[in-house]
Amino acid sequence: MSSIIKTSNIRIKEKAADWEEAIRKAGTVLLSAGSITSDYVDNMVDSIRELGPYIVIMPGLALAHAAPCAAVIKSDVALITLASPVYFGSANDPVSVVLCLGCTDRTSHLESLSALARMLLLETTVADLAGASSAEEVTQILLST
Amino acid sequence: MIRIQAVCGFGCGSSLFLRMKIEEILKEHHLEAEVFCGDVATCTSTGCDVIFTSDELGTRIKERSKVPVITITSFVNKKEVTEKTLGFFESLN
Repeated sequence: MSSIIKTSNIRIKEKAADWEEAIRKAGTVLLSAGSITSDYVDNMVDSIRELGPYIVIMPGLALAHAAPCAAVIKSDVALITLASPVYFGSANDPVSVVLCLGCTDRTSHLESLSALARMLLLETTVADLAGASSAEEVTQILLST
Repeated sequence: MIRIQAVCGFGCGSSLFLRMKIEEILKEHHLEAEVFCGDVATCTSTGCDVIFTSDELGTRIKERSKVPVITITSFVNKKEVTEKTLGFFESLN
C-alpha cells in the first residue's frame, strides 16, 4: 500500500442516507479495486454495530475497517467524501469523510498507514478534504500536508 | 519505562492514529514511554501501565482493566490528548 491514496480509490460527494450506506459505499471502492471481498464490507458494518462508533476518531472523519482476515485480498485504502454528512452517534459527528482500510495483517502496512495518519492528524485536513471537488484535489491536499 | 497501550477495535487502524498522537506529545514534552497498539479483546491481558482508547471502547475496557483507562474523544484534538497524557504522568508522581 503506498502512502497516499490512489486517485482511483477516491470518490467525491457520494450520496449516503445513513452511516451504514456510507460505510458500504466506501467498501465498494475497495471491492471494485479487487482488494477485499464483500464479506469484509459486512464485517465493517457488523463491527460498528457491536463496538459502537469508535471509528469516528476525529470530527468529521470515520476510519472504516475490520479485523485483518482472509476477506482482505491485499492491503489497500480508499477515501470517499459525502454529499451530505451522516451521523454515527459519536461525539465527533457529523461525518463527511470516510476512509476505508483493509489490512492483510496487523503489521506489514504500518509505515504507509503512519504516513497517511500523519497527514490526517493535522487539525484542518479533514475539513479541507470534505470540501474537495475532485479526486485530484484530495490527492493534492494530502500531498501538501 | 512506562508502557502505554493505545487500544482500538482491532489493533491496526485507529489505535495507530492514537499511538502517533501520544508519541508526538511525549516527544514535545520530553517524556519517555513505550507506546504500542492493542485491540479491545486482548488489551486487558497485555502488560502495560495505562490504556488510552476512545470513549465508546473505554466503557467496555474499564470494567476488566487493572490499569487506569484514559478515554480520548477526538484523536486529533491536541489539547485533549496533551492534557490527558500529561495528567497521567503527573498522577505517577
